[in-house]
Amino acid sequence: MKTCISCGMPMNKAADFAKNDESKNYCIYCAREDGSMKSFEEAKASMTGFIIKTQGLSNEAAENAAFSAMRKLPGWQSNFSENTTTD
Amino acid sequence: MAGSRKLQKEQTRERIIAAALKVYSERGFSSPTTVIADEAQVSHGSIFVHFPTVESLFLCLLDGFSQDLKSELHSLVECGNDITKLLEKHLDILIKHEAFYKRLTTEAVYLPEEAKNTSFHIQSTVSIHFLQALEKEISAGEIKHIPFHMIFNTWLGLIHYYLLNGDFFAPNESVLTRYKNTLIECFMALIK
Repeated sequence: MKTCISCGMPMNKAADFAKNDESKNYCIYCAREDGSMKSFEEAKASMTGFIIKTQGLSNEAAENAAFSAMRKLPGWQSNFSENTTTD
Repeated sequence: MAGSRKLQKEQTRERIIAAALKVYSERGFSSPTTVIADEAQVSHGSIFVHFPTVESLFLCLLDGFSQDLKSELHSLVECGNDITKLLEKHLDILIKHEAFYKRLTTEAVYLPEEAKNTSFHIQSTVSIHFLQALEKEISAGEIKHIPFHMIFNTWLGLIHYYLLNGDFFAPNESVLTRYKNTLIECFMALIK
């Protein structure tokens, strides 16, 4: 099963993928209207909103949780300089 | 030779992580590293060759646990819109990992922030499938008009309360196994 490189959501059917395109590695929620992948800030806002909606965290705690999740996701490794290795 | 040393190092690391999982599950997160070293059958110093701090050992262990659990939780998608089936499957998965999950829940307040966030990431994986299963029934008015996060947190709250007080509800056995049907029936009655 593919998971979205931007938010980690499992993608099981065509409708889960951006533009119903199963060759994409990001989901419908992490895509803009034109099908391109959302930016780091856009994705962070979207994930924060999802956490608030589904788990009811405060805005600040949800933002922290989103930030820490993104740190582990393949789509955002270049946004976290400490994850860049030199070897 | 270098390859075999590397393999041996990797195996020792894995053994320490497995031992830590067992010790933390049975005795809690405040267990000393000497106990973990004994369980792993390595010298105490060996732990710190692989993990510079206790926190780094814990976070590495938690990361692996969380990845494994999330992979299993993704299978909740198979339940589609069948909420009862989803609740059953959710509990079945938690029962398999009950000892460590219980620690994670009941000792959360003592954990570093990164670990607390990991707990929320695990719950996010559940909530995606929960939301997908309930969305149709919520819009059809078959579920009470309650904010989604309250529905979800009520379910988690029930589970976590029984885990927290497992010694009273089901001494020496799996509390989630014993109360599985009751929890599901009561939760469904509450939200319908």
